[in-house]
Amino acid sequence: MTTAIELTELTKTYSRGRAARRGLDGLTLSVRAGEVFGYLGPNGAGKSTTIRLLLDLIRPTSGTVRVLGLDPRRDAVELHRRVGYLAGDFVADGRQSAGECLAFLAALRGGVPAARIGELAERLGLDPSARIRSLSKGNRQKVGLVQAFMHRPDLLILDEPTSGLDPLVQQTFLDMVAEARTAGQTVFMSSHIMSEVEAVADRVAIIREGRLVAADTVAALRARSLLEVRIDFAAPVPEAEFAALPGVTGLRLDGTTLTCHVDGAPDALLKAAARHTVIGLRADTQDLEELFQSYYAAA
Amino acid sequence: MTSTGNAVPLSAHAFTRSVFTKTLHDNRRIFTVWALATAALAMLYAAYYPQVSANTAAKIPDALRGFGLSDTADAAGYLQGAVFGLLVPLLATFYGAATGARMISADEDSGYLDLVLAHPVSRTRLLLQRYAALAAGGVAIAAAVLLAMLAVRSGAHLGAVSVTGFAAQAVHLALLMLLFGALGTALGAATGRPRATVFGVTAAIGVASYALNGFAPQIGADGLRYATPFHYYIGTHPLTEGFQPLPILTMAAATAVLLAVGAWRFDRRDLGR
Repeated sequence: MTTAIELTELTKTYSRGRAARRGLDGLTLSVRAGEVFGYLGPNGAGKSTTIRLLLDLIRPTSGTVRVLGLDPRRDAVELHRRVGYLAGDFVADGRQSAGECLAFLAALRGGVPAARIGELAERLGLDPSARIRSLSKGNRQKVGLVQAFMHRPDLLILDEPTSGLDPLVQQTFLDMVAEARTAGQTVFMSSHIMSEVEAVADRVAIIREGRLVAADTVAALRARSLLEVRIDFAAPVPEAEFAALPGVTGLRLDGTTLTCHVDGAPDALLKAAARHTVIGLRADTQDLEELFQSYYAAA
Repeated sequence: MTSTGNAVPLSAHAFTRSVFTKTLHDNRRIFTVWALATAALAMLYAAYYPQVSANTAAKIPDALRGFGLSDTADAAGYLQGAVFGLLVPLLATFYGAATGARMISADEDSGYLDLVLAHPVSRTRLLLQRYAALAAGGVAIAAAVLLAMLAVRSGAHLGAVSVTGFAAQAVHLALLMLLFGALGTALGAATGRPRATVFGVTAAIGVASYALNGFAPQIGADGLRYATPFHYYIGTHPLTEGFQPLPILTMAAATAVLLAVGAWRFDRRDLGR
């Protein structure tokens, strides 16, 4: 199988309450088997809605979902056997200890070797005897990570997996994701922070208001990023000479200093600038975080 | 099944193998308290019978005859009115409503249902295993009440009621708890409403149908009694008539229908957050 997740024209409208709210709006997306896929978007963009559709916790209003070649609704039990899921706000039974909780969840899967659970817990620095109610957000998240990874599922679906984790544990988590890829597992992880997935993701998709706005490799997205230009002139320059240049956006003139973004070749801008006395020039590629902010903000 | 965790204490381990055993384990204290409290109250009221029977002048207002508060002079009549006609069935109703509301609604409110249902457990199986634990609790409560009755039977001059009669009444009691438990479970499963709402609606239906069964003769609507579970529970006089297929099958069938409808709706709706 080459496709792990296939979403076609997926729409989800929530009808509870008086105002119908659109969670997803015609989303088409495909995740290849064996890749680490970053699913990005601001809070409320529809990331959790997509993930809950993949797991049959909610049902689509229209469109189709195939996960590991299965129908999440009809083949729910078989699919869940092959999937590890970490919810955005992982909730476990607070009365159980971490070890009891993991043993219970393992039993629901027909058993997972105790050594495997112990090894993951130790790696993440999780104390199995601690009562879940008494755990911090970060330690609770570790329980969620162990239960998602412990049965070595074909597909890991992780909703904001690093939230609450300290940087050291975040690194351990990224190692675990990289190992999962090496082992041939597919990882689908959501985040609202680009840098978090940049390190491990083969491809990323960006969604906004329930629609796909970009899906590509990190390198390709980086190539698309804008040039940030700052030019200092010896004397004030007329704004009209720069405003209409091809590829120039976000133009600002502050006395003798011009700043703008350039998409594509900066030739026109440089030629326009050369008509004046340039005393300073600075050009940076926009960092990815900003790029994503621009995707988020784009109308 | 393979061993699933050496670090976990054995006692807890045995109870973390299925949704059913875990639900039983989680509710062990609550079920025990329900069983002890219900049995103790039933026993207290039953033990009061010698004093009541001595006072043969006991007068019951006509308006309350529908509740079975008549014939206090004989043992079965007294038990049917004061013990199995008022206190115990209302407790049973609240057991069903309170426990039923916790089977689906409480975990959906907290978000825990998302975790369990992302595992290889179908929604119907989850519902049935949760309900099976509720049913086991109900059977334990009814058994405790039966034991309490048998313990005071001779001491409280209740020998006129046969052991079979008490056993039949205990079965009816268990079925009443199962019925309201099924109503609460099904309401939560079908609607996804919060636990407090599910409890309130289930308990209100219970109290309303109890009152309807009691007042129906006064308002000239005798037929309506047949629509309430309390008619089958007590109106068929299990204490004197013993085991009868009709009330037992009727309550069991109503329970099965409620669960089936609840499971059907549960399987078709979105889980809430």
